Amino acid sequence: MIPAPQWRLAVDVERCTGCHACSVACKAEFRVPLGHFRTKVYYRDVGSFPAVKRHFLPAFCMQCADAPCLKACPAKAIARGADGIVRVDQAACRSGRKHCGARCESACPYGAIATGPGKGTADKCDLCSDRLAASLLPTCVAACPTEALVFGDAADPASSLSRFLASSRGRDAVPIDRGGSPQVRYRAADPQVVARLPNGRPHDPASYEIDTWATEGQA
Amino acid sequence: MKRRQFIKQGIGALATLALGEVILLTPDEAAAATRRMSEPAAPPPVPVVDYRNLKQVPSTCLNCSTVCGIVGLVQNGELVAIEGNPADPNTHGTLCAKGVGAISINTYPERLLYPLKRVGKRGEGLWQRISWDEAYATLARRIQANIDAGHPERVALHQGRSRLGAEFSRFLNAIGSPVSLNHRALCSSNKRAANYATIGDTDWETPNADKSRYILNFGSNFMECHQGSIHLARRVAQGRANNGAKLVTFDVRLSNTAGRSDEWHAPFPGTDGLIALAMGHVILEAGLHDAAFINDWVNADLAALRAFYAPYTPEWAERESGIKTADIRRIAREFAAAAPAAVAFTNRGSQAHYNGFNNDRAVILLNALVGSIGQEGGYNYMKTGLGGFGVKQPEPVPPSPKIRTDLEDPPEWPLANRWQKMRVGEIVYDYLKAGRAKLDVYLSYTLAAPLTWPEGRSLAVEVLCDETLIPFHACSDVVYSEMAHYADMILPDASYLERWGLDNRDNYEMRPYIALRQPITPPPGECVSFADVLINVGKRLGPEQARYFQFANHEEFVRQQCENIRIPGVANAFDYLKEHGLWVDTAKPTAWRTYERNIADSELAGTRSDEAGIVWRTNAQGKAVAIGLRSGDRVRRGFDTPSRKFEACNAEVAKAAAKVGIADDGWPHYVPIPSHLNLPADRLILTTFKWNVHTQARTAPQKLLSEIVHDNPLWINSATARRHALKSGDWVEVTTYRPKGHTLHPTGEMLGRQRVRVVVTEGIHPRVVAISASLGHGFSGRASEGRKGRRRANPGFASPTGNAAREDWDLAENLWWDKASGGRGNGFNLNAIIPIHPSPVTGMQSWFDTVCTVKKV
Repeated sequence: MIPAPQWRLAVDVERCTGCHACSVACKAEFRVPLGHFRTKVYYRDVGSFPAVKRHFLPAFCMQCADAPCLKACPAKAIARGADGIVRVDQAACRSGRKHCGARCESACPYGAIATGPGKGTADKCDLCSDRLAASLLPTCVAACPTEALVFGDAADPASSLSRFLASSRGRDAVPIDRGGSPQVRYRAADPQVVARLPNGRPHDPASYEIDTWATEGQA
Repeated sequence: MKRRQFIKQGIGALATLALGEVILLTPDEAAAATRRMSEPAAPPPVPVVDYRNLKQVPSTCLNCSTVCGIVGLVQNGELVAIEGNPADPNTHGTLCAKGVGAISINTYPERLLYPLKRVGKRGEGLWQRISWDEAYATLARRIQANIDAGHPERVALHQGRSRLGAEFSRFLNAIGSPVSLNHRALCSSNKRAANYATIGDTDWETPNADKSRYILNFGSNFMECHQGSIHLARRVAQGRANNGAKLVTFDVRLSNTAGRSDEWHAPFPGTDGLIALAMGHVILEAGLHDAAFINDWVNADLAALRAFYAPYTPEWAERESGIKTADIRRIAREFAAAAPAAVAFTNRGSQAHYNGFNNDRAVILLNALVGSIGQEGGYNYMKTGLGGFGVKQPEPVPPSPKIRTDLEDPPEWPLANRWQKMRVGEIVYDYLKAGRAKLDVYLSYTLAAPLTWPEGRSLAVEVLCDETLIPFHACSDVVYSEMAHYADMILPDASYLERWGLDNRDNYEMRPYIALRQPITPPPGECVSFADVLINVGKRLGPEQARYFQFANHEEFVRQQCENIRIPGVANAFDYLKEHGLWVDTAKPTAWRTYERNIADSELAGTRSDEAGIVWRTNAQGKAVAIGLRSGDRVRRGFDTPSRKFEACNAEVAKAAAKVGIADDGWPHYVPIPSHLNLPADRLILTTFKWNVHTQARTAPQKLLSEIVHDNPLWINSATARRHALKSGDWVEVTTYRPKGHTLHPTGEMLGRQRVRVVVTEGIHPRVVAISASLGHGFSGRASEGRKGRRRANPGFASPTGNAAREDWDLAENLWWDKASGGRGNGFNLNAIIPIHPSPVTGMQSWFDTVCTVKKV
């Protein structure tokens, strides 16, 4: 029997230009409503004129091995597949959502799961599972113009992901770890932009307003 | 009759705007006519996409000027997503946010769907729905009257970025009008002129960044908005990851490119050329130049170069630019040490100045000094265009008109139309007002002048409103834009995802390619591509003109254009392009060091050489043209300049300058900006910029892009802000001044005042304030206006079929940046108080020279 692929994402942050192609591609393809982001790009300006740097962080669902959202869901509507992808069962979520208090949202240390608007059920990245089934890359990875996003089967040493992780650059890629055993690896993510990631609440759309680019801490 | 009587009243009455019915469309008054929504305010079902059975339609993006290959994924006639075309050699199938986010424009509820004619005063917003027959007949009658009166030049076509050059020139040539107006001088004419004046072959470089070891960037924000933006950003990322290339950026503002560079240096505005000259000084002084390249290929010898560079010391450059002498020396040495895998290039930050033409030439010259021109990792270029593929105007071809007017060919800027018809677009409204030319019919397309022109909402709007200056204005647009608002007739356009066209750009892999733009989905309602409009109007003109428009439609025109394209093993190039989107001619040699190519003996018959070794051929018009350079027993192609060498010094520039009373010896000297001399301490320089998710004025209606950036406060340095007791969110009044020097209205007097919110940042030069373009729309629908809620009365609502008639729950319920619900709103447009300021000789708008003061309010 062929073992299930282990789909993983890695981010070479140094190559990121903050272009938002990943986040907008995701919103366009999945009709994610205004105000909500499954994937969002954070900015952080650091330093004083003229010694200033701008840091970017494309923030994804970390597809945690020990997912806090999964554990928090009283309806058991969230499951992690054999392929390593954490998914929401929309029907189970719908039937359980009245009394759950959106515990998945507050459990997630990465801002990656949100309930509503409109449908009211939990919404998150599933690494474009439907596209994967048709042998297509996740839409964010397909769009990324600077090859900052690397995707593939961690169980296959020939996959782009495995080759990246084995390369001199990829060896530095580590998870942003706020618990849950996150599986997305980031190379060269600046801690000051990482600090902007929300913890226990979904991405706030206003966290990209330009006057927040120089603010410290959670967006 | 009171206009209220025209307007349909009552709940749901506006759901269908029937032929002949009238509607009022102004930002204020339309609110009174707000439609009660009958659609339920609920989210639409997310389509379940069957990825294995999607229709894939390859085409070409036009959400910016980079024109990447795209593939539209279509299911049940609906555009599901836009992806990159993997066959595109520049992108390898990737895209940017604008490319993927454009999906919302096809179904934007505020799309225009029907031709409209003005029935109130111009600019009042009262419109009547008309038929296309009436629209075509009116346009044809009006244009024919000018032809018959012997004044075809009173018909002007003014376009923004359309990529329909062949279509538009055919139309104007057929009617005999030379007045083809554009926006090039508001964009890039100094940069293009600088490339022509030095290299000659082309107007835009393709830095070989992926193989480079040193990337020296003067004023390009290629990570966000350069022409070729993601093509270059992708390769810079490769060069940095694979070769450890160093990226050094000079920019007054911390763009994303500056913020991600290994070094960011913020010079005083307009001193980029001086810095580059000082670097050249250091390179020659230290003997780090490439003597062989200079000897073989530069039209000035080492002694002349040394003499030219001698005064440009790093110390002088530091005094003017604020960049430390030690940094200039170090960067110059590092750049030269990395050569030939080193490249210095430019864009708007260096060229949109009074002295921008010389700034850019000085930067390009750095590449020649170190011999990186045409080399791996160096400054490269290739000839592009469709002609190389055999694309021609279908027969019969209308001749070019022999007449000229001051609108498209203003004599004050003798190099504006020298190498290509770049024009001096920013002076058009001023010249109309001054009576320098007379118009009857003004056709505008993809322009948005009130938002994008200097003195846009001031002078441009004043002239657009004046029926004596512009007696008849027809505007083709996809939304009810600010340009459409001032028209007499609105022609609902197909979006670029719904129309045809041929296109291409430089290929960073150095081989020519050709691309097709084709409809991914059909246009909604009665929308018609403007290219089709011109064909349909042309057919209704007299027989002398109509003979040039015997095409069923624009598709057939494009098909005929493709007839001479030869793709090996392919019977029909048009069908191939429809299937694949583009074709790279891999049989053509790559364009490395094209100047070194030998010209075969067989091609030298009938040529002669002069004492300088220049080989001349007499062309079909009887004119002697330099084609190559003799070196020993070989004739090499050289550069496409009069000397066939890289022109460090350009005699033609000197001559052109003399023609307009400017002393110029042809060398790219540093020219101090007259308005910036002896600048009082309280004066700042206002600069503008673009975001990665927007182009000029046409992306704001796309909700996914405006969601990312909708607000554009004025950037101000923290130290400057402290002096004015300003913090982010405070308001200032900006006062601007007209320029000085050899330009239009060089009075130095106050131009205007406008209030704007500020953002305090470390990412800007203390003497500079910056505001972005692209925002502050008063029209174009909810996404651009930053207004949540029910859509307003709009003729676009009336379609009984087609997606655009559908309400968008997102815009009605979720537009979170609406000021009324606590958001930041939709930003500002300061162009009303940015002066028209053409730079000498070329006419490029000096966007980044505006002197201003700020005052807290």
